[in-house]
Amino acid sequence: MAGKALKDVKSLNTCPGCGQIKRAHVLCPHCVETHPTDIFSLAVTNKQILSASGVSALKVHSTADPDFPLVQSIDEAHKLGCHHVVTDGNGSRSVSVGFGGEIRVWSCHDGNWSENKTVSAGNAGSTGVWAIALSGDGQYLAGVSQDGHIRVWDLDANGEQIRYYETKGSFGTCIDLSADGRFIASGHENGSVYIFSTETGRMPFSLSGLVKPVRAVAFSPGGKFLAAAGDSNVIVLYDTSSGEQVANLPGHSAWVLSLSWSHTGEYLLSGSFDGKVKVWSIDTRTCVATHSETERAVWNVKWLPKIGKSEGFATAGASRSISFYREATGG
Amino acid sequence: MSTPLRQVKRYINETLSSAFDELSKPDGRPAITLKRSSRNASLFINPTSRALESSGTDTYITYSWPGANTFEAWKFSIHIDSLTLPRVHILILITIAVVFRVLAVVADAIGTGVVVSKSDPACFGTQRIVDTIVDDLAYTIGVDRSALNVEAAAKGLVAGYCSLLTKSGETMDVQLPAKDCLVPSSQDDRELNISDASWVLIIEKEVQPLPYDLITETHLVHRPSTADSQEVIIILERPQEKGFSSLSDKALRFYGLVDNDPDGMAIMSIYKYGSMAHTNQNGRLNIPCLWWLGLRTSDVVSGAPSNDDRALNRLTVRDRTKIVTMLSNNPVWAAEGPELEWRAELQQMLMLNLKAEIEILYDWDGGLEGWIDQKMAGFSLPED
Repeated sequence: MAGKALKDVKSLNTCPGCGQIKRAHVLCPHCVETHPTDIFSLAVTNKQILSASGVSALKVHSTADPDFPLVQSIDEAHKLGCHHVVTDGNGSRSVSVGFGGEIRVWSCHDGNWSENKTVSAGNAGSTGVWAIALSGDGQYLAGVSQDGHIRVWDLDANGEQIRYYETKGSFGTCIDLSADGRFIASGHENGSVYIFSTETGRMPFSLSGLVKPVRAVAFSPGGKFLAAAGDSNVIVLYDTSSGEQVANLPGHSAWVLSLSWSHTGEYLLSGSFDGKVKVWSIDTRTCVATHSETERAVWNVKWLPKIGKSEGFATAGASRSISFYREATGG
Repeated sequence: MSTPLRQVKRYINETLSSAFDELSKPDGRPAITLKRSSRNASLFINPTSRALESSGTDTYITYSWPGANTFEAWKFSIHIDSLTLPRVHILILITIAVVFRVLAVVADAIGTGVVVSKSDPACFGTQRIVDTIVDDLAYTIGVDRSALNVEAAAKGLVAGYCSLLTKSGETMDVQLPAKDCLVPSSQDDRELNISDASWVLIIEKEVQPLPYDLITETHLVHRPSTADSQEVIIILERPQEKGFSSLSDKALRFYGLVDNDPDGMAIMSIYKYGSMAHTNQNGRLNIPCLWWLGLRTSDVVSGAPSNDDRALNRLTVRDRTKIVTMLSNNPVWAAEGPELEWRAELQQMLMLNLKAEIEILYDWDGGLEGWIDQKMAGFSLPED
């Protein structure tokens, strides 16, 4: 794929549901009402994509089928709407946080999600937790709270709180766990970015941070880089072994709200408040594709699991639909 | 003497005299019972009137002091600190005192014909308790709150293509530039005549001093080209305002411009659907055809000159709590409710943790006036 950008998909196809013509990479606007309000968060498994929005239901679409059909609607999940949903590595567990502050844990059996009442998030819901991340095995839930503190809960031990990291108290907007589970990174409204070691409970080094609110942090799959971005419109790459800023990726002209790494770590995906979605090559440190599907805020972007050789991603936001992009494989 | 006034007077006389009778007995127990429209009742949007209404029943609350020596109890209320009573008793005591204080002030206001502001700390104590008691009192007597001569502080300003009919039958023109007047309250004999206007713009403003330049330098002299005709009314309103009886003419077009924060959104909701505290009156106060001009988060983020961080403020803990309460309690903001855009706006505020005030528009290209023109033009498009 080197040198080849992910191209805009402009082809049309026929919706299997209603028979009307639609663009190939979006859900049919006529028969699939994705969400009637902003979609704030996406989470992916091998075969599905979960979406959380301003209404009470979580929606599950299949990514195994080229038409991305809706396979489940988890109704009444969060009465006030849901702002974060995450999944574990093998797609068997999911956790969501609602605007009312409640945390719910979901289990997947044969592609069908239901609330897991035996697994508890303990007192997590009472801590003002905002952004969350789930470990690859689904056992540990990390969260950053509105007062800026970071906690880790063991979901297999009644949600017992097993780690607590204090910061200077600025609103915690985003959090990520490294794939090996050794590091937690958080981004804050005052521009701070923190890395904690889950083993020692300490910060291995302090990061320089950004000058404006941070809205997204993401570890690269191999854990070599941490990407952070937000209201300064620039994506910053930190080397996680030294804490040094190793790259700046300018190019967005609006706040960057979301980041996602491709599975090989070759590409970084970003979505911004003005609706732009960009793909960055980490080798060349350049933007290799810009998508302008919408002018409305893109709240979340996520790479999809690789199917064969084909790689793609999904974006969602204030346009209220999920858009799917596939690599142009014909080249 | 008007009927509501007589009702109020009779009620106060009866209540106070029975309380004094009790006080004069050695084992008297002064008590007062107020009726309250149930707050926990399920609220819904009436599909016909588009007003927020309640399906609940009334509850009755009796405030009484169960002590043997009532006079002692009253004396204690002055020296709360020295009391060793259980906390709940102290609260009852304070509340009784407040109820009678409210009654006394209302009696005085009725007698002298003066309208008292309920936020006047010299007259009343805790705002929230007083608010509730005044509402309950009006509801018990069966009159409008304004009949008690207790009003929210200043009522806001009106200016534009309208005229004011005064007590003496005069017509006062307020359409000249630099001329505006206080919105007459419902117990005033004055009335606002807006039959010539084609639209009404309601602007939230709580800042002091009121932005007079907004009226005088921009909108009154300026005639927006996008309007159906050439009239302008601007109403500067205060957030405590609960509704607006003289403007419920459904044929008019109404626009609302409020701050991008939970209070602004709540004000707009009160104008359009009515308030949660006065569900029994909402049907005649709501303005179903109110259009939301702004301010939206997306307007602010995309429109603000870059690097202008002053445009946006962070939400306070109170703001966030208020938004969550609004989303939880009021059917206007519900997922199945009538205003998904409003709901999304509140959620966006929570997501970004940001809010903004109308004043920022002054500094933009075209200023506030240009911005309002542009937004109104959007609504003038057919079928929007």
